[in-house]
Amino acid sequence: MSQKTVQTDIRRRKAWSGLFANLGLVAYFAFSLLPVLFILALSLKADADQTTTYLWFTPTLSNYETVLGLDDGGGTYIRFFMASLATSVGAVLVSLVIGVPAAYAAARYRFTGSDNLMFTLLSFRFAPELLVIIPLAVLYQQLGLYDTIVGMIWVLQLVTMPLVVWILRSFFQDFPAELEEAALLDGYSRRQAFFSVVLPLVRPGIAAVCLLAFIFAWNNFIFPFTLTSANAQTVTVSSLAWLGGNQVKFNLVAAGAVMAALPPLVLALFIQRYLVRGLSFGAVKG
Amino acid sequence: MAGIEVSAITKRFGKTTAVDGASFTVADGEFFCLLGPSGAGKTTTLKTIAGLTEPDSGSIHIDDVDVRDIEPTHRGLAMCFEGYALYPQRDVFNNLVFPLRSPRLKLPEAQARQRVEHIAAMLGIDHLLDRPVTQLSNGQRQRVALGRVLVRPARAYLLDEPLAHLDAKLRTTMRAELKSISHTDKTTSIYVTHDYVEALSLADRIAVIRDGRILQVGTPTELWEKPADAFVAQAFGKPRINLVPGVIDGSEFIGADGAIRTRLPELTESVSEAQLGIRPRDIEIDPTGSAERGDRFRLSGKVYVLEHLGRHTEVTAEIGPDRVSLVAPRHEVADLRIGDNVGLLINPNSVHVFAAGDEGNRIS
Repeated sequence: MSQKTVQTDIRRRKAWSGLFANLGLVAYFAFSLLPVLFILALSLKADADQTTTYLWFTPTLSNYETVLGLDDGGGTYIRFFMASLATSVGAVLVSLVIGVPAAYAAARYRFTGSDNLMFTLLSFRFAPELLVIIPLAVLYQQLGLYDTIVGMIWVLQLVTMPLVVWILRSFFQDFPAELEEAALLDGYSRRQAFFSVVLPLVRPGIAAVCLLAFIFAWNNFIFPFTLTSANAQTVTVSSLAWLGGNQVKFNLVAAGAVMAALPPLVLALFIQRYLVRGLSFGAVKG
Repeated sequence: MAGIEVSAITKRFGKTTAVDGASFTVADGEFFCLLGPSGAGKTTTLKTIAGLTEPDSGSIHIDDVDVRDIEPTHRGLAMCFEGYALYPQRDVFNNLVFPLRSPRLKLPEAQARQRVEHIAAMLGIDHLLDRPVTQLSNGQRQRVALGRVLVRPARAYLLDEPLAHLDAKLRTTMRAELKSISHTDKTTSIYVTHDYVEALSLADRIAVIRDGRILQVGTPTELWEKPADAFVAQAFGKPRINLVPGVIDGSEFIGADGAIRTRLPELTESVSEAQLGIRPRDIEIDPTGSAERGDRFRLSGKVYVLEHLGRHTEVTAEIGPDRVSLVAPRHEVADLRIGDNVGLLINPNSVHVFAAGDEGNRIS
């Protein structure tokens, strides 16, 4: 075979494999993004169109106005939204404040039962949430945590904390211990070394885990559904109201859902630059 | 500045023993080298002194104070890591100034800047101060790592292969620089290296370490002239010392199959099997066989390999089943060819006798 035929052959094969890869991607994204498009369309449909599946309709913003309570001056959605924000951010903060040092300790120190401890931390996540929801509801009623922001933060933290600890532990394990040792000998205490040397370098990991934890907390349904009623109810649960009653309003649910998707989206965009940059441990010899 | 005393330190990692009962004392202001092959336990010993690794047994005293319960932060030592351990998010200046800004030292900013600039100039990295360390070459990183140690006053410097990744020319320059610093500063230093030339050139005293055990501690001259065992003898010199195995018969040494025979000075220990250690530079070529022999003994062999290395030539000769290497001035061996018969003259006083085995004790 001549050099030229080999080259054209390789080029042709590359073209084909590129085509297949792209077709695969298109199919994948169609499958994952079409539901989003569908909900987006539904949120803009008038009541008459709400059970249709086609995308040809006259769009209206009235669903958003209704959900936000603009026409009757209610503003309940905003309240649910703020409750969601408060509980999710609160849960993420609690998980970070406790989880980052915990993950660091789990990565750096071997102590009796350290593996068991890590395992126990996950155990809450083994069972479906439904399994614990009844005792939890009783407990919350007794403790006065039912339908409170603090109560919600505490229960959502149970979801996000294991995530934070497990993901960050592997981050810390990959972190070269020599950098901390250098800081110790440079005259910094362990705590100071952690804050001035370690923490800045694991920021991408913390950013990633923040985003994940926030999404998990924000989208949690079962806990706010069973443990709140009015004061601390979140957007995920509040949308249900439009499905009850004597008329089912899918378009209103869709409008509520679209707005509820915004905070994670905004957070993801905001955090992206930390995510893509990744870790640069270039200063330590490999 | 401080004296450091290491007593019977042992450290195990799982089943491997990294340091095995190592003891040595470093005097105040002394430049002390730990010399050994890779995996000998040099770094572990250093980290134990620094407090980064806790020994399983044994103790460390700095200025006669047991430092068992003193955190690394408060031991007042400075350490240069073999893997550099530079802070990747900081540029060169901020790496160098980091120890000066520490809560321990808290040097005034102007003074800190001055010190950093002084050290950077000395190490030839002053043009890199605002460069991120991730953009440096290995040689530059190594100099930053060394600079981060030298920039501050410390009770002692712990230096782990600080010149290993420099190119040959820079290494020689930096070695001279280090030597001059240690001469003027008189800061106690423990210097880990696998390069015997570095150890010989820098150290006041050297400890040879193998498999976590200290084999011998002494001045460069002592180690060179009176190595305690065959391993220490082999650790110094290039080409390595020739070790010729044989048996002792009365006061005579007989090499394998009798090709080498020589009378020995009095031995400190009577053994049946031994090895002769002869440094390549202690062997002279006697091509004609007519040279004045004096009290030297003569061996005849055959040229196996000739390596012309500038002014000197390394000759490997076969004597019976043994191979012996020697270094001769080039003009003396200009006519020599591979396969030629050659006479070798050896002064018996320069010969070391060791018991058999790769750590056979010195018995001469």
